[in-house]
Amino acid sequence: MATRPLGVDEAAALPARPGRPGLGTVLARFCRKKPLGAAGGAIMLLIVLTAIFADQLQTRDPIATDAPHTLARPSETHWLGTDHLGRDIYSRIVHGARISLIVGLASTLLGSVLGGVIGLLSGYVGGKTDLVTQRVMDILQGLPLLVLALVVSAALGPSVENVVIAISIPIIPRAARVIRSSVLSIREMQYVEAARALGLKHLRIAFRHVLPNTIGPFIVLGTAQLGSAILVEAALSFLGVGVPEPYPSWGRMLSVSAAEYAQKAPWLVLFPGIAISLAVFGSNLLGDALRDTLDPRLRGA
Amino acid sequence: MRGFRFASLAVTVALGVAGLGVALATAQAPKTGGSLNIMLREDLPQGFALHETATISVAWPAGPCFSNLVLFDPAKKVESVDTIIGELAEKWSWQDNYKNLVFFLRKDVKWHDGKPFSSKDVKFTFDMLREAPEAQAKLRINPRKDWYANVEHVEAADPHTVVFRMKRPQPSLLMMLASGYSPIYAAHIPPAQYRTTCVGTGPFKLKEWRKGEFVDYVKNPDYFVKGRPYLDGLRYVVIVERGTRVAALQAGQLDAAMPGETSKGTMEQLKKAVPQMVFNTVSQSVTDNMIMNVKKPPFDNPKLRLAVSYAIDRRGLIQASHQGGAVLGAAMLPKPYGVWGMPDKDLLALPGYGKADEMKARAKKLLAEVGVTPDKPLKIEMATRAIAIYVDMASFVINELKQVGIDATLKQIETAQWHPMATRGDYQIGANLTGLGTEDPDANFYENYACGSPRNYSQYCSEEIMKLFDRQSQELDPKKRLDQVLAIQKKLEDDAARPILAQRLDYFAYWPHVKGLVPHNNIYNFSRMQDVWRDK
Amino acid sequence: MKTYIAQRLGIGLVTLFGMSVVIFLLLRLAPGNIVDILFSTGGYVNPSERAAIERELGLDKPIWAQYLDWIGQMAVGDLGKSYRYDLPAWEIIKPLIPVTLELAALSLVVAVLLGVPTGVISAVRQDTRLDYVLRVFSLAGLSMPSFWLGMVIILGLVSWSGWIPPVTYVRPSENLGLHLIQFILPALAVGYRSSALIMRFTRSSLLEVLREDYVRTGRAKGQTERVVIWHHALKNAILPVVTVIGIEFAFLIGGLVVTEQVFNLPGLARFLVQAISWRDYPIVQNLVMLIAIVVILSNLVVDMLYGILDPRVRYGN
Repeated sequence: MATRPLGVDEAAALPARPGRPGLGTVLARFCRKKPLGAAGGAIMLLIVLTAIFADQLQTRDPIATDAPHTLARPSETHWLGTDHLGRDIYSRIVHGARISLIVGLASTLLGSVLGGVIGLLSGYVGGKTDLVTQRVMDILQGLPLLVLALVVSAALGPSVENVVIAISIPIIPRAARVIRSSVLSIREMQYVEAARALGLKHLRIAFRHVLPNTIGPFIVLGTAQLGSAILVEAALSFLGVGVPEPYPSWGRMLSVSAAEYAQKAPWLVLFPGIAISLAVFGSNLLGDALRDTLDPRLRGA
Repeated sequence: MRGFRFASLAVTVALGVAGLGVALATAQAPKTGGSLNIMLREDLPQGFALHETATISVAWPAGPCFSNLVLFDPAKKVESVDTIIGELAEKWSWQDNYKNLVFFLRKDVKWHDGKPFSSKDVKFTFDMLREAPEAQAKLRINPRKDWYANVEHVEAADPHTVVFRMKRPQPSLLMMLASGYSPIYAAHIPPAQYRTTCVGTGPFKLKEWRKGEFVDYVKNPDYFVKGRPYLDGLRYVVIVERGTRVAALQAGQLDAAMPGETSKGTMEQLKKAVPQMVFNTVSQSVTDNMIMNVKKPPFDNPKLRLAVSYAIDRRGLIQASHQGGAVLGAAMLPKPYGVWGMPDKDLLALPGYGKADEMKARAKKLLAEVGVTPDKPLKIEMATRAIAIYVDMASFVINELKQVGIDATLKQIETAQWHPMATRGDYQIGANLTGLGTEDPDANFYENYACGSPRNYSQYCSEEIMKLFDRQSQELDPKKRLDQVLAIQKKLEDDAARPILAQRLDYFAYWPHVKGLVPHNNIYNFSRMQDVWRDK
Repeated sequence: MKTYIAQRLGIGLVTLFGMSVVIFLLLRLAPGNIVDILFSTGGYVNPSERAAIERELGLDKPIWAQYLDWIGQMAVGDLGKSYRYDLPAWEIIKPLIPVTLELAALSLVVAVLLGVPTGVISAVRQDTRLDYVLRVFSLAGLSMPSFWLGMVIILGLVSWSGWIPPVTYVRPSENLGLHLIQFILPALAVGYRSSALIMRFTRSSLLEVLREDYVRTGRAKGQTERVVIWHHALKNAILPVVTVIGIEFAFLIGGLVVTEQVFNLPGLARFLVQAISWRDYPIVQNLVMLIAIVVILSNLVVDMLYGILDPRVRYGN
């Protein structure tokens, strides 16, 4: 969207990023203009802190069973009650934040970075490479998120690492597509053409000029996918092919055992579900607000 | 006046008593008609091929289609050789000191496709099961071949007489034949066909099997027991999701549960919501047990195995994993559920059955003797199936072991790989469940503890014990046999190759309008449904 | 137009081919196969019997041979036999399709009925309290795990009223009323989630359009707000909404996997999960290819609709 041709000197002197105001001012402005986004950010911060300080925040060992106190109601000793093995639900939810966040972030990061690199190179190089890469991305994207994650998970077996890989794979094509379209539009910008005319190396152009301008869409994509990743991990754990014992996973807390005792102990079903919803809610709110601020063009995306 | 009053009172009382009598009589008399919706937790894994599977998911829905030679009396909860009644066999007798078993078969039986039943079908079935050289068909998978290891020959002397000739006396054969796992296949139907449809001689004919949804049965009008079955039809409904299953039972969309699916917690929930629901406390004949690979370190050391057995608080497990819905028991069902159970005082003396802290202290002492101390803990890997009930048990055990200085990490194995892994011996210690098809020591001992048995996952092998197995198997005096079996149970727990943790209970639930369904202390053996009726 | 369709179909075919290889390999990567599962139902393992069954099912052939067998069969329309049920795969899959299709369609209807009006209202009353409330409400739908919502619905129903929708699938031909009752709750659970996306898209695209010049002109000309919105704005905002609907249709199938399980509906999403755990290769492969075909076709239809509705796109894409 450049509106006038740049002079040669100007093009060479272009900074990789436009100048930015101080972080504090940015945050304050953000909170004022986007209260929902700020709320989302606060929720995410709370969850991240919970995950980091899980060991300090827990009241009991999350995997310790307590035979005489199974299915106990929420009380002073067990803030959110206990499950059918007597494990403290509050402590399990606190540690579950760690798992959900780690799996969500790791898979989102892995998928987005891989996808982003693929999209960047594919969009920049163009031609046959682009065509072939696009077809491969189509293949990965031809299946719904959960189905692909399910098959990969079954193929690799139940473990935290495999769940991360399984969830990241469907993210790759989606990330590639977003970054690629962003790259395509930037590539045509005149200052890039000018840089090329100046003889700057392709890689330099790619990383110094094109990449920084994809950060906006990248962040937006990341936060959007984080929500999906957390939900897919919950669904996989619910179906029994996600994070295995003894790691407490919010999704697995909702599966078989919870459903069986749900009427006697509804807290088994309510609290993990609320936790998942809150995490995804927060990430979505934050992602929306970030998108509105960073890249108004993508408002409809 | 007084006379009149007295007379009218007398008449009223008399009428009342008579009325009550009539009401009682009609209330007890079974009504014909109606159908029932019964719970299934998953679709039938191999259709109706009962001889090719060992799972309740086939035994339960396939039961109404078939008939056995003999069966455990449906009305009697506790199973023993004394509760065996005839189905296809009218009379039977042991001859030659329990070496030959003669059956006199009913003469009026027809297969569901109209063909007549005869001794040919019996010979066909058991030749196939024992993989005799003259067998006319072969099973793709044959889990209970060893039940018939001692059968030398099956003779179809005439169309209504069958003789089992044994290599050596084996009174338990009758118990095997009475199990829900011993129906008679038709000689004119290829066994593979039972995987997709069912042709039997049972009280109900298969109407439709809608894959993944339900199995529909309709009354067999030519059933050989006149006046049975009472019901017009049965529908076994497949509901995979646990919460939905319980909700369906609660909402009345299911009339009866599935054996083994009503845990204590489920029962309490249902009782609160539906006070009139009927619950039957029975044992499942399924045990929680630990398998330890005796061929590999560290569990080749019997002291270590014993320490593990001491460390696991059986009562704690029953409370934690089952909410009290299980009982203490050794290899055979404890009394009053089974007739081979160890008396309480002997049971409480077994490793791990006593007071928790005493037992843990004993465990720590044994561990110290093999060099395991709190600052030098033993690190092991515990394998279990990736299913909730297994994982719950394993989680509890891991916690117990942690308290005596054994650090176990849990490795979950998918169903497809569990049996191969266990058979290969590719594990150190595992949390396991074992079901028994019939409550006889022969079935239990030879399957799970005999040298070379494919289901002896611990690969425990003791010549001495094998001799004891063979001795009790041929013992004709019931009292002597009981004593021998009790002694064997104690020895097995002391050798700790496969310590029993608990005997599971089921609180089999059904709505009060379901009558005539008496759950047994064995989940596999009350699925025939011929005496079940519907009140309203 | 014709060449465009042909081109897209060609690309689609290549994609399908690639996908077939991926799913084929992934499945065989998974440890254990149908024979292991069959033995697990028998409670033991016997190596020689195992080898015999593998031979019977053709699992002892080298992988590339098995792949060629499958592709060859598919080319002539033979979808193979289910390992679990020993019946032709198509016979097993066929009755599942209408259930999932209907659930997906109903969910989409719910999503549109819920999402479009709320999106319009939210856009028109941008940044008011109503806008915020609606956005939070719709975002909540996007954040809740759909299986949790389904579980809460069923458990809430049964503990509050002692009633749940029928757990056996009621065909429309058997009892239309009961059938609809059976489908409305899962459709709501899944549709709520999709409605969130549709609401966001409707809102944002309407917002963009409302800023456009011709809308301002219309307002200046004195046309009523309502006319302005419904005539000009909505017509042009429909485009991205159609796109999202198309994309959502494919994503729905993921949500249906758990919903069908919780509500006990015999659809192909639930069946797929079971088939995967059973290593029933023919069923999984065919179902996945079927889903892929649906996704590719729906993308094509959406792109074509895009082409019809937006003249700017029709030429020169």
